[in-house]
Amino acid sequence: MTDAYAVNLEDVSKAFGAVKALNGVTLRVRQGEIYGLLGPNGSGKTTLIRLICGLLEAHAGTVTVLGQKMPNVGVLRHIGYMTQAAALYPALSVEENVRFFAAINGAEAGVKDALELVQLWDRRGSVVSTLSGGLRQRCSLACALVHRPELLLLDEPTVGIDPQLRVQFWEFFRRMAADGTTLIVSSHVMDEADRCQRLGLVQYGRLLAEGTPAEIRSQGGSQNLEEAFLALAGRRES
Amino acid sequence: MSGHRVRAITRRLLQGFRRDRRTLALLFVAPIVILALLGYLMRGSSTVPSVGIANEDSGPVGASVAGQLRSSDLIETTDIMASDGEARLKDGSLVAYIVFPSDFSQQAAAGNVSPEVHLEGSQPGEDSPVIQALQKALTTVASQVAGRNVSFQPRVEYLYGGPDYDTLDYFGAAFVGLIVFFLVFVITIVSFLNERSQGTLERLMASPLRRGEIVLGYMLGFTVLALIQAAEVLVFALAVLQIQNQGNVLLIFGMEALMAIAAVNLGIFLSMFARSEFQAVQFIPLVIVPQFLLSGILFPVSSEPQALQYISNVLPLTYAVNGMRDIMVKGADLTWPSLQLDLAVVAAFGIVLIAAGTATLRRRLA
Repeated sequence: MTDAYAVNLEDVSKAFGAVKALNGVTLRVRQGEIYGLLGPNGSGKTTLIRLICGLLEAHAGTVTVLGQKMPNVGVLRHIGYMTQAAALYPALSVEENVRFFAAINGAEAGVKDALELVQLWDRRGSVVSTLSGGLRQRCSLACALVHRPELLLLDEPTVGIDPQLRVQFWEFFRRMAADGTTLIVSSHVMDEADRCQRLGLVQYGRLLAEGTPAEIRSQGGSQNLEEAFLALAGRRES
Repeated sequence: MSGHRVRAITRRLLQGFRRDRRTLALLFVAPIVILALLGYLMRGSSTVPSVGIANEDSGPVGASVAGQLRSSDLIETTDIMASDGEARLKDGSLVAYIVFPSDFSQQAAAGNVSPEVHLEGSQPGEDSPVIQALQKALTTVASQVAGRNVSFQPRVEYLYGGPDYDTLDYFGAAFVGLIVFFLVFVITIVSFLNERSQGTLERLMASPLRRGEIVLGYMLGFTVLALIQAAEVLVFALAVLQIQNQGNVLLIFGMEALMAIAAVNLGIFLSMFARSEFQAVQFIPLVIVPQFLLSGILFPVSSEPQALQYISNVLPLTYAVNGMRDIMVKGADLTWPSLQLDLAVVAAFGIVLIAAGTATLRRRLA
């Protein structure tokens, strides 16, 4: 381990055909922090997350995760990834889904804990296709953290869920961070940003600003994060 | 009923197709490919069956019938010794041989000839041109040489199959394998596509799973289902439909299992090239129908136009069908070189596809 960063992106670029999804992004996430990846839809958040978990390879620059240069299959057992849509097997029950993802990570022992953490233990027998969107998101989260990853990547985990559940989710996230897990949470909802320890603002495939919510506020010159973001975005464009 | 609303649905449908170029291409290309193939198969200058002639007649009639047969365009003839005949049928170089016995001329003079016709018999449809050609030749010769009506009663013997075999007995063997191959292929391609579209494949890719493990796991899972299906099909075919079987049931099952494994991997491999279940379904006519037409199920490969024979000879289903017929109709066992080849080709096809599926998985997601 060369540094205390869980994730270290150096000058990373990624293009899909003619479309430049990321353009020279440098970003560092410390171990045990909740890092918020903020930006509008299509700004490059999902591409960043896919680079971090090795689903994509950077065209330029280096991606280092938990001390290993990505893509690297060995690191993957220490990463949990919750995709944007609750990617689950609809014909399996809640427990069967979680048990499957536990099994491919060699962590069957964690099934009960994971289900209890997301408060689905009582619903473990329900078939996923019969569940509401919020319950599916919880099941999806359980699948992502069942193997107790050191790094948890959450791609818009709170999209489409009600405010109550959103509060619950952030409660889970805080507890996990307190236990030493590093979390990267992408969102386009600014009121979630305040719950993160540090933020990266992404737009047009570039990192506009990085820092604690307070730092972003002062950089953008506004007490309102949303206004600060817009100010930073405008500065870059002009 | 509102015409406006109906039109809205129609327009929406066509607009969707306009963007789905692949489906459009398949929609318009597939029927032409299939029809062209069928047309060429049925009308193309098909090759005629090879027939051996052993003329043991001490008189002149045998020679002149043989001469007529040589000029027949229904069959292609080779002169052989009667004693070699059976070996030539077994090695596949002849589909039939005709023996004119030593007293053939006397038979003709007596007005009643019975040449021996030995048919290979494992494929339906190959014997009729032989009998036809012989009948034609005899009629011509009878009027020229004997100057009188000669009745014709060939003594037909079958190496395999025979008169107590009906159409189902011939086709059943091939279909038992084909059904499993086809259904397993469809189920695999659709469910692997589901894995992609519901997003779980992305999750699997971000897990410590190796690509080969995913393909192998899939293969084993579907093979379990396929084997149960294969057993069910086999029991039904043998016990209920009473399809004749000369071979070892375990050997049939083994062949079915190999076909199922090949079908699973074909499904995984081709699912990489489809973006939706809609497109996957379109692979069925393009992948299955030409194989079905060219595998020798309906038309013997040896009677296909030469160009199509080259294609048939590289299609795995040809070997699978041939193997199933070898076992069930001919009673082949593992000592038969032809069955060894069939099994080896189907197995190799499965292995190549495992590698291809794994390689494609990597390219599409990493």
